[in-house]
Amino acid sequence: MITWIKIGIRNLYKNKRRSLFTIGAISLGFAAVNIFGGFTNYMYTNLKQSFIYGQGNGHLTVFKKGFSGEGKIDPLKYLIAEAEMKTIRGFCMKDSRVLMVTPQLRISGLLSNGEVSTIFIAGGRVPSEIRFINSQAKGLLSENKFFEGKQLEDNITYGVGLSKGLAKKLGLSLNSGAIAMSPTVEGLLNALDAQVFQLFDSPAETLDDKLMIVPLKFAQLLYDTSSVDRLTVLLDDDKHIESVKAFLEQGLKQKGLAVEIKQWRELSSFYKKTKDMFDTIFIFIFVIVFIIVVMSIINTISMAVMERTREVGTLRTLGVKRKRIIELFAIESGLLGIMGSIIGMLLTLAIWIGIQIWEPTWIPPHITIRVPLEVYLVPGYIILSFLCLVVLSVVAAAFPARKAAHMSIVDALGHV
Amino acid sequence: MEEVHKTYYLGETQIEALCGIDLTIEKGEFVAVWGPSGSGKSTLCNLIGMVDSPNSGNILFQGQEIILLSDEERTELRNKSIGFIFQTFNLMPVLSALENVMLPLQIRGVPSKIVREKAMNILDELGIVDYIAHRPHKLSGGQQQRVAIARALITEPALVIADEPTANLDSDNARKIIDLMRKINSLKGTIFLFSTHDQRLLDRVHRQIQLEDGVIVDDKLREKS
Repeated sequence: MITWIKIGIRNLYKNKRRSLFTIGAISLGFAAVNIFGGFTNYMYTNLKQSFIYGQGNGHLTVFKKGFSGEGKIDPLKYLIAEAEMKTIRGFCMKDSRVLMVTPQLRISGLLSNGEVSTIFIAGGRVPSEIRFINSQAKGLLSENKFFEGKQLEDNITYGVGLSKGLAKKLGLSLNSGAIAMSPTVEGLLNALDAQVFQLFDSPAETLDDKLMIVPLKFAQLLYDTSSVDRLTVLLDDDKHIESVKAFLEQGLKQKGLAVEIKQWRELSSFYKKTKDMFDTIFIFIFVIVFIIVVMSIINTISMAVMERTREVGTLRTLGVKRKRIIELFAIESGLLGIMGSIIGMLLTLAIWIGIQIWEPTWIPPHITIRVPLEVYLVPGYIILSFLCLVVLSVVAAAFPARKAAHMSIVDALGHV
Repeated sequence: MEEVHKTYYLGETQIEALCGIDLTIEKGEFVAVWGPSGSGKSTLCNLIGMVDSPNSGNILFQGQEIILLSDEERTELRNKSIGFIFQTFNLMPVLSALENVMLPLQIRGVPSKIVREKAMNILDELGIVDYIAHRPHKLSGGQQQRVAIARALITEPALVIADEPTANLDSDNARKIIDLMRKINSLKGTIFLFSTHDQRLLDRVHRQIQLEDGVIVDDKLREKS
């Protein structure tokens, strides 16, 4: 085998220019896939962090059973009573992997500036507990403040946050007063005074003229209830999501509580849609790169076969079997794949270092401030790209190599 | 060879390269096949060397009916029992003289250390041990042909088939190469079968087989000189 590898390396060196072009195509393809993959990974990580920590949704959410089905039509039928909430919270907190369990109540109604009213939907949360969840964020979220104004407070019930679109629609600004109106759980009309403590960017454009954040007490007062519609569970580590979920489901069932527990992925449609879109683009780029690599390898090996037809004839005459001829060209092609991937890795690393030094910034969708544009080095993508490109290089050589191996020896020896 | 026929097709044209050849070559012979271009010399050598197959007839090599062998079996038999010398030397351009000579045994999977030693001995015998590290393009025609002969002999084959081995050599080199082959033939009993036009070589063989239009028109033994 060493002889064949030696012949392969020397033949590649003999045709340096052609080999360099092919290695260049492979390495550029490798870098393109890994830089884009690294960028999407950065996006996914930050979207995930944003949903779990930034928006205070945690890793798991406990609902009353049926909330995700029938509950969407009539959520008030699926509220968790105060006693149940305490039981669930107490049980969850027994698990050392659970960092925080906080109740939430989503409400909707009309928000008025005294002259004009518009629909709102709001998350009623315990501000101090949400701040704790926010504080667990890493990276961008921990370094930046994503709202204008001041924080909401547990004991200042009337202090609320408005999405910028909603504030604009009603002509409200920081410290402006407003009135929130809604039917209570009993069906009576209720109204509460509110003061705009903060303005924020909505995570979804369609909600920008509707979204509010209110303290849990405000939501419960407006609905005239002590119940909540969900409990947000924050874990110490992502890797515990499945096991904690299973533990909680089993434990709460044993306590006679009919609940359903959803993972953050199931609740974040924006994350899912964004990931699906970028995954599709990633596959598209991967396919294009692979086609370029395959074409480039086939071209290189076909030219090598054509130029070395007489050599193939000589080797066959000397007693080299057909499969060995295929191996010979496959080795050359595999070497191109290995060298191209190694250079691609170095190129990826160089671009990554360049980004670390240059520190470019950008404004992602739904965020108003500039944040660093990063590209992560993803070992999984690097290993996968390496293996795929090397295997692909070998496979791509098979067709021209097979043609060479099955050529008549007499014709091969007579080839000019 | 018994009643061997070989026909080539060029489009719709049928070319009968060999027409019912009967031929026996014994151990230790030093034979030349000669005749005008297109007479079938190369085809005859290709069939004997198992790089081509006849349309009909039978070819026995060391008692084996080669027509019955698979491609793999023929390839192995070629490697083990036949050495090839080409008019244009056909050395691997990316290998040194030593590596070229080592190649047939490496194909067989013989350990490198043994192969290297054997190749060095042969190159020494052929007087080109000083050029072992040279790539073919750095060697003269005569040196290249010596390397090709060394490559053909390293497997200690029963038969060496040489296609116009002296055609690309000057008189001095041609004479030296012929002497060398005759020496090996007489020392080791290796059969040499030449396809040639070269009178310098024809004058030195023991047996001349003349072909014309795919038929043996003359087969004569010459006195050993």
